[in-house]
Amino acid sequence: SSAPSVSTPPSWTQFDLKTYWTTLIADINQKLHEAVPVRYPDQIYESMRYSVLAEGAKRASPVMCVAACELFGGNRVAAFPTACALEMVHAASLIHDDLPCMDDDPSRRGQPSNHTVYGDDLAILAGDALFPLGFQHIVANTPSSLVPEPRLLRVITEIARTVGSTGMAAGQFLDLEGGPDAIEFAQEKKFGEMSQCSAVCGGLLGGAEDDDVDRLRRYGRAVGVLYRVVDDILEDKMNGEDEDERKKKKGFSYVRVYGVEKAMEVAEQLRAKAKQELDGFEKYGDAVVPLYSFVDYAVDRSFTVSDSS
Amino acid sequence: LKDEESAKPSFNFKSYMLQTADLVNQALDAAVPLRDPAMIHEAMRYSLLAGGKRVRPVLCLAACELVGGSHSQAMPAACAVEMIHTMSLIHDDLPCMDNDDLRRGKPTNHKVFGEDVAVLAGDALLAFAFEHIAVNTVGVSPERIIRAVEELAKSIGAEGLVAGQVVDLNSEGLADVGLEQLEYIHLHKTAALLECSVVLGSILGGGSDSETEKLRTFARYIGLLFQVVDDILDVTKSSQELGKTAGKDLLADKVTYPKLLGIEKSREFAEKLIKDAKEQLSGFDLEKAAPLIALANYIAHRGN
Repeated sequence: SSAPSVSTPPSWTQFDLKTYWTTLIADINQKLHEAVPVRYPDQIYESMRYSVLAEGAKRASPVMCVAACELFGGNRVAAFPTACALEMVHAASLIHDDLPCMDDDPSRRGQPSNHTVYGDDLAILAGDALFPLGFQHIVANTPSSLVPEPRLLRVITEIARTVGSTGMAAGQFLDLEGGPDAIEFAQEKKFGEMSQCSAVCGGLLGGAEDDDVDRLRRYGRAVGVLYRVVDDILEDKMNGEDEDERKKKKGFSYVRVYGVEKAMEVAEQLRAKAKQELDGFEKYGDAVVPLYSFVDYAVDRSFTVSDSS
Repeated sequence: LKDEESAKPSFNFKSYMLQTADLVNQALDAAVPLRDPAMIHEAMRYSLLAGGKRVRPVLCLAACELVGGSHSQAMPAACAVEMIHTMSLIHDDLPCMDNDDLRRGKPTNHKVFGEDVAVLAGDALLAFAFEHIAVNTVGVSPERIIRAVEELAKSIGAEGLVAGQVVDLNSEGLADVGLEQLEYIHLHKTAALLECSVVLGSILGGGSDSETEKLRTFARYIGLLFQVVDDILDVTKSSQELGKTAGKDLLADKVTYPKLLGIEKSREFAEKLIKDAKEQLSGFDLEKAAPLIALANYIAHRGN
């Protein structure tokens, strides 16, 4: 009935996740483009841009952050700087994870990985620069009229903890070290943390009460791990029966460790858990619809998010 | 450099330095406890608690006191700048960077824990620095804490510390590096974090904007001075005296002040820097400024 604008979300009853998501991707990409300009010394900015602006990025963290902020009636303008920062720190983690001394991955998202293009030294420094840029971007660009300083400090704390020694760095470490009990924990850390942080930050920026922030935390973690488990199932289907191919693949897969059936069971449990958390947001009406649709999308993958993937 | 100022009245710099460094060491020890996963936290602690001189934290605390604040207001920030300093050393020492085996007289982080853990320990220290300021700073308004966070982020990223490292990497082995580029490297690679330490102290201690800016300029001179003296020491001292590999700049064919200016002119330059630095403090209460003046003298006259 009314024209879509930044502060009025589309009618939730006819909610179309694909439109919601692709619109936000365009916004986020534009903002990231502006947030990482090329200056002297050029190479470091080019290296940062190469990973942050990689084509085909789904921007799942920013979209989750914005949706969680809007759930509480927050203006998405309040969430955009943090949404961008989440992509920056995530990119930093991935650049370092791909290094030869870590996972030694020559490619990422179908492109050569950062160190393959810019060298190991610059890849280290690009990561080291993207972490603080994330924090700087939040402080410099979040309107103080929309978000009080104590809230912003909680957002910064949340992100720092997520990428730190008990969060994603711990996940990467346990992944490298292996060990029987560590595997599942490592995967949760690596894939649950970012999603959890995105939901929590969005809630904090939207003015959520502590109970609701905790609910978002559990929801975000479940969705992040769910996404990963389904990825493993889909990958297994694509690879078919080729046992040799399967063995050659490095890294953890739920399917390889537990088998397809168990993996699907885990996925169902996570889907149910995520939705159960969302049931607690009843009082916010239809604004919770996007968060529900992320859960189903994680399982069904009913459309392709970005034009190039 | 001649030690002409060391006999200033009553202020005992040595005991101030030792006492303050001791407080910082205790705070750092408490800030990064041994948690799960143990190895990352061991690696973080190994480098963080390796007993550096704590020049940055002491600068931070001294600046905070100079503008009328108390130690406790700036202690988390003082720890944070040391965490950042440590992470940049850990990453700098990696084989794909400077490839150093020795740091503060001990094997470098990656030599002990492996390159993978060294990268992660550095990343974790970087993130933790921000968390520590945001969570543990007390007695300061959230507005000022936020300003401190922004200042820290700015000075360690692609506009600050990292910019210096990149230009430094680019300059290695080049014959035509001039004074201007050398100054760019040091203003970013070394001075940015020293500047940030002082500015954080001033912001968190309740300093006015004009006080903070004076202290910023002071620290920039001190930062450059730090590097000029470092360059001179690299030529004139042994590895044992330095606790790190001596003569490395020459071996790596790095451009230095002695190489561009000669030792004598480098020393003169250092004298000018310390004089300019001290001028910035002339508007402050001289007694309260004693620690910063003594620190500047120390940086100019240190033996390692």
